[in-house]
Amino acid sequence: MEVDELLQDLEKRLESFGISIFCRSPKRIYVDVPPQYSREVNRIMFEEFECRLATATGMDTSSRIEVLYHYCLDSSGIVVTIRTWAQKPDYTLESVATVFPGANFIEREIQDLLGVRFQHHPDPRRLILADNWPEGVYPLRRDYPARKQRKETPEFLRELTEEVTTP
Amino acid sequence: MKRTVIPIGPFHPIQEEPEFFQLTVEGETVVDVDVRISYNHRGIERLCQDLTYDQIPFLLARICGICSASHPMAFCQAVEDLCYTEVPLRGRYLRAIICELERIHSHLLWVGLAGHFIGYNTVFMWAWKYREPVLDLCERFLGNRNHYENFCVGGCRRDIPPEAIPEIHKVMAELDTHLDMLTKAVLDDPVLKVRLGGVGILTEEEARRWCATGPTARGSNVAIDVRRDEPYSIYDLIDWDVQVRPEGDVFAKTVVRLLEIIDAVKIIRQCLDQIEPGDIRAEVRDIPEGEGIGHAEAPRGETFHYVCSDGTNYPLRYKVRAPTYVNLPSFKASVVGQELADAMLTVAAMDPCYSCTERVAVVRKRRHGKKEILDQKTLLQMSREKTERIKRSI
Repeated sequence: MEVDELLQDLEKRLESFGISIFCRSPKRIYVDVPPQYSREVNRIMFEEFECRLATATGMDTSSRIEVLYHYCLDSSGIVVTIRTWAQKPDYTLESVATVFPGANFIEREIQDLLGVRFQHHPDPRRLILADNWPEGVYPLRRDYPARKQRKETPEFLRELTEEVTTP
Repeated sequence: MKRTVIPIGPFHPIQEEPEFFQLTVEGETVVDVDVRISYNHRGIERLCQDLTYDQIPFLLARICGICSASHPMAFCQAVEDLCYTEVPLRGRYLRAIICELERIHSHLLWVGLAGHFIGYNTVFMWAWKYREPVLDLCERFLGNRNHYENFCVGGCRRDIPPEAIPEIHKVMAELDTHLDMLTKAVLDDPVLKVRLGGVGILTEEEARRWCATGPTARGSNVAIDVRRDEPYSIYDLIDWDVQVRPEGDVFAKTVVRLLEIIDAVKIIRQCLDQIEPGDIRAEVRDIPEGEGIGHAEAPRGETFHYVCSDGTNYPLRYKVRAPTYVNLPSFKASVVGQELADAMLTVAAMDPCYSCTERVAVVRKRRHGKKEILDQKTLLQMSREKTERIKRSI
């Protein structure tokens, strides 16, 4: 499938979801999808376009947290990125792991590192962070103390280290 | 109810991925599995956001001791995608040669370990013996056995000297005869066929649902390979095949890997014949604002990298997805219903690092009601005893 053909198909199929499509190069397409349609669009990508979910990226842009689902169309080597976002204050999104299990790990990772709540996730346990990591502290958020600025270990981390080393 | 899980076994800091598997078994049959990862999370994505684009490839080579070329490769491609850079032809050939050398030594390492797991120590010694000359080659012409540090945004840092070409040809010729013997020995062995056939089947449908990549997917009839699907480097100028097997069991994955080593030798030979003098690096002056995606076929599957730039010298967001991250969850689909003696082999067939298998806690449901921890020694023993039983019955 050529990129023009795919763009037409995507536009036609996803028309009703208020999307905007940006084709950066013949192999890279970015689609912005409003959060309420995220699960449905992801389902269409996986089931109807038969894409493979490579991974998802979570990104804090200060005003919102963007979640980018990267799909590989292996038959043509095109990567389609579905960009959706979670808004303040509760940062919730509908889980895609309910459609296919391949999205399970990455959604848990984004939940750990950025604090996006994926609703109806089949297994919303922690994946990356340790069990004794404090609640509500998200290491990839913008407000997390940056490594270079940090003069000394933050309070919560000091507590954490003590807790781990105490026999 | 919250289940407490304690990682058991010696901690190996030299292994890249300590993982935890909690298998639930009934008698000898695995009925459920829970995978936990991230005991050794190093925060590389975050670290990269404090490094410049020139420094990042050096850190990325440390993501994995074996795939030390694939990760920088995917990163460089992501940044080249971001700033629309074209790598000079010689640089692309060099990249392919390095990546294929890596594939050879990585797959040989796996073949050896797989042999070791089922009690075939001859296979282990052969495979690792044949791997050595490849590593020596890397050391001689790339500076190090594993961490070559040869990739940078825009191309390669160092060229190989002219005398390297006949030298690599020589090693490849020797490797060819050895590989021929090794492949035949493995494929024609009746015990191996029975021991590995039908074990740890990952069906095509499950492989797609779990989004598996690399030999794990190709052994399950999913014909995907980034080298062919989105030809980077020079893979579109070379004659080679995507190795696919329909069975989905451990034997299929073994065959895929063995044939891929032979293909890698073929690719290197063609690269050496076609490579011509020229530039190896395109100059990249400014990194514009925007996003870039790069992916490359590592020995274990696709590595996927995403870069978001705000126009400064440091990436705003950087994302790495290693192949084991997507292959590992598919273990759940392939191990349920298997014998406990095959669990280790099934996870080994995905080619994660072997320290994973040292951290298995077994919950014996019916017999004791409490947890029993099996260490690597016991698991190896069980796996080898099964091989012995098959040997005797043939």
